[in-house]
Amino acid sequence: MADRVVITGIGMVTPLGKDPTEVLRRVQAGESAAAPPTRFDASPFACPVCAEVKDFRPQDYLAEPKMIRLMNRDAQFAVAAAHLALQDARLKVGADYPPEEIALFGATGLAGLPLSEVSSLIKNSATSDGRFDVQRFGSHGLRSISPLLSFKVLGNMPVCFVSIVENIQGPNCIYTPWEGQGAQAIESGVRAIQGGETRCAVVGGCDVKTHELAFISLQQQGLFRSWMETGKGVVPGEGAVFLLLEEEASAAARGARAYARLGDCVFGTRRGGSNVGTAVAGLIGNLLARRVSPHPGPPHKPGWCPGAEYPLTPSLSPSGGEGVRRTGEGVVQGLEPRTLSENSLPKGEGRGEGEGDRRISLRAVVSAGDDALSSHHEEAQAVATAGIAVESTFCPKRHTGYLFAAAAALQVGLGALLAERLGGLVLAHCSGHGGDPAVFLLEKS
Amino acid sequence: MSRRVVITGLGFCTPVGRSTDDAWGNLLAGRSGISRITLFDTSQLPVQIGGEVKGFDPNALARQFPEANREPDRKVWLGLEAASQAITDAGVADAVPGNALLHVGVSLEVFFIEQVAPVALAENMASALAQRLLKGGMSGRIQTPLDRLTQVVGDHYGVQGGRYTNCSACAAGAQAIGEAFRRVRDGITDLAIAGAADSALNPLGLGGFSLLHILSTENDQPTRACRPFDATRQGTVLSEGAVFVVMESLERAQERGARVYAEVLGYGCSLDAYRVTDPEPTGRGAALSMTKAIRDAGLGPADIDCVNVHGTGTPKNDVAETLAIKQVLGKRAYEIPITANKSMTGHMIATSGAFEAAASALTLHDGKVPPTINLEHPDPLCDLDYVPEGWRPFTGRTVLSNSFGFGGQNATLILGRAP
Repeated sequence: MADRVVITGIGMVTPLGKDPTEVLRRVQAGESAAAPPTRFDASPFACPVCAEVKDFRPQDYLAEPKMIRLMNRDAQFAVAAAHLALQDARLKVGADYPPEEIALFGATGLAGLPLSEVSSLIKNSATSDGRFDVQRFGSHGLRSISPLLSFKVLGNMPVCFVSIVENIQGPNCIYTPWEGQGAQAIESGVRAIQGGETRCAVVGGCDVKTHELAFISLQQQGLFRSWMETGKGVVPGEGAVFLLLEEEASAAARGARAYARLGDCVFGTRRGGSNVGTAVAGLIGNLLARRVSPHPGPPHKPGWCPGAEYPLTPSLSPSGGEGVRRTGEGVVQGLEPRTLSENSLPKGEGRGEGEGDRRISLRAVVSAGDDALSSHHEEAQAVATAGIAVESTFCPKRHTGYLFAAAAALQVGLGALLAERLGGLVLAHCSGHGGDPAVFLLEKS
Repeated sequence: MSRRVVITGLGFCTPVGRSTDDAWGNLLAGRSGISRITLFDTSQLPVQIGGEVKGFDPNALARQFPEANREPDRKVWLGLEAASQAITDAGVADAVPGNALLHVGVSLEVFFIEQVAPVALAENMASALAQRLLKGGMSGRIQTPLDRLTQVVGDHYGVQGGRYTNCSACAAGAQAIGEAFRRVRDGITDLAIAGAADSALNPLGLGGFSLLHILSTENDQPTRACRPFDATRQGTVLSEGAVFVVMESLERAQERGARVYAEVLGYGCSLDAYRVTDPEPTGRGAALSMTKAIRDAGLGPADIDCVNVHGTGTPKNDVAETLAIKQVLGKRAYEIPITANKSMTGHMIATSGAFEAAASALTLHDGKVPPTINLEHPDPLCDLDYVPEGWRPFTGRTVLSNSFGFGGQNATLILGRAP
C-alpha cells in the first residue's frame, strides 16, 4: 500500500491564463480577470462582471471538429486542462502506465448551457402569452434543437471526454456541482493511490459560470446577495484545472518532477446551506492537529474527521463553548492548542525558520475565500488563534474569479506550486459556496 | 483496516413498487412497471411510454422533510422516500452514527423551462429574464443543483461523515454504492447510506432522450417495449425512481443484531475511452470493470454464480455486454443465470445500478433470480441463459451486477450471501 502521493502535473485553463506559473504570478501581482461579460449583457444582473477565459481555441487540443461540436465549453476546458496536466508531467498514457491503470476523478458544475443553445427551443415551445406548452414543445420546440444537445447537458460528459481524448480507462467517479465536490475528486484520487488501486490519477474539475443562465441560477441561489448589499461580491468565472497525482515511488522511478507531496487532507460537513467559514476554521485546526499528533505513526490517510475526535476548545469556538459545536453552519472540529507545541512536533517538520516560539509555521495559505465568502476571515482568525504562523496568504478567487467545481483543483494546484517554490508547508482550502469544506496540506516533495 | 461490509437496509421508490416487498414481488412475478406516461401530455412526442412511480405524492413527504421546502425537482422527493425507507429498514433512523457517510448518484438536472417561457418572445431573452428575476417575477428556480437530495437527506439524518454526489450517468447508482462500500471497508466510516435518484420523465428529459434514438417508440405496447437480449428489441424505456441501501461493517451489524441482506464483496469501475455516443462494441471497458470487481472481491470467474446485467434493451448495449461477460467469465458465462431487471423497470438512468444491486442482494437473501421478461426471440449474438421463463430458485453464493453509463463509465458490484 502506498502512503505518499505527489503532484507531478498541473494543467490549467483559467481567466488568468493557461500557464500555472503565470497564473500564480498574476495572482501574486494582484491582477484581476473580472470584466463585463463579452458574451451577454450583464447590466440587468446584480453582479455586473465575470471572469472569462480569453483566447481559448478548442482545436488546439482536439483534432476532431465533430467532437468539438459535441462538447460544451466546460468540456473543452476540461480536455485542454487534463492534456496540459499530462503534458506538464511528461506522462505518456500507455508507456508510463497502462491506460486501464490510470484513474480519473473529476468534478463538474451545474449544467452550463448558454441561453443561445436553448433559445429556439424556448421560443418554439411557448404560447403567445408566454406559457410553456408541452404540445408545442413536442411539435415544434423539440425539432428546433440538436439531437446531440443531451451530451452537452449530462454532467459526466466533460470528464468522459477527457477519458476519450487521453485514453484513460481506469477507476473513476464524477462529482457535482460545487467546490467541495471538486475537493472530493482530489481526495478520491489520493485514496485510490493510497489504497493501492492505482499508482496514477488525473483529478480536477471544470465549470462555466459566465453565461446568462448561470447568472440567473447563481442569483436565485443567493450568490449575488453581497453585490446587492455592498456592491461587491463573488465574480463568476470559468475554466478547468486538472492535476496529475502519482504514488511518489512510481513518480520517482520514471524520473518525474514532483511539485509537492499531498501531506494530508481532511473534510468537514456543511449543514443547512449556510456559510462554511467556521467549519473551515475547525478543519484547519483538525488537520494541523493530525499533522503534529504526539504519536504521529504512519502518514494519515485523507479522510473525514469524526466530530468527537478533536473537541473544540473555547479559543476556537466563536460561541465560546466547549466540545464539538453543531450549528446550522456545520460541524466544527477544532484542536487543543497544546497539540501544536514544540513537544509534539515531529522533528524538523512544520517549523518556520528561526522560530523561537516553537510554533508551527505555514509558508503559505491558499485561501478558499474572497470578499463575499466569509471563510477567508474565519480561516485567518482560526490560524491566528491557534498560534500558527502564516507567512503569506493567497486568495485566488479574487483574481481568477470563482471557478466553482474547478476551484478546488485550482487552489491545490497553486498550493503545490507554492510548496515547491517556498518549501515547508502550504495549506490549501477548498470550501466556497455549497458542498463540504476541505483542507489540503502540501509540502515540498 | 479492511472490514467485511454488509447491506442491512433497502429502500425502493420505483415503477415496480414503492417498498421492498412490492418491488421484489413484482420483479419475481415478471410484472412490468412501464405504461403510458401520465405525468404530462406526451401526445406530440415520439415516445409516450415510461416507467413512472405510480401513486407517488411528494406532498405526503413534505411534513417529514421540511428541509425540502417545496422542492420542484421530483427526483429529490423520490430519493427522500427511498432513502428514508432504507434507513428505517436498517433500524438506524434515530441512531445514524456520527461518522455516517452519504453517497448519492444522480444524472441530469431539471431545467424548468416554464420559468423561462414568459420571456420567450422578448427581443433580448437574457435581459428580460434578468429583469423578471430581479422584479420577483419568477415563481421558482430555473434549475435545482444536483446535490439537493444529498443535502436534504444529510441534514435530516445528521450525516456528518461525508456527503458525496456523483453524476456518473447510468453508472451513478452503482458507483455511489461502490465508493461508499470502499469507505466502510477501509474503516473510514461505520455506516454508509448510498443509492441514487432520478427522474427524467419531464418534457425536456423525455424529449432529449428520444432525440438520441435509444428509446423504444412502441407506444402501443408499453409492457413489452423493453426487451433486453430479444432479437426484435428496439431500444430502452425511460423510467424514474430511487433506490437506497444502508451498508455497515459486519461486526457492527452483528453487534446490533441487524438483519443482513447480503455482503458486498467487491467493486470495480472503468472507462470505455471510446465514444460518448456508443458503448465500446467489443465490451472491452465493461470487461475491465467486471475483472476489477472480481479481483477486488478476491474471487475468480468461476466463483460468480449469477449476473444482474445492465441489459438496457438497446441493440448495441446487449451485444457488447454479452461479449464482455463471455470474455470475463469464459465457459462459466454459459452455466449461470443472467437477469435483466430493466425488462420490467425500464431504465431509471442513475438509479438503475442501485436498483440492480439491491435486487441482487434480494436474490441472495431470498434465493430467487428474477426473470428477464419479453425475451421471446433469442438474438443469436446474445446466447447466454437470460432466465426468460420466470423466476428461478438460486442456491449460488455470489451475484455480479453491471452498470454502464453514457460517456463510457462502467461500474460493477459483486455481492455475496449474508455471512
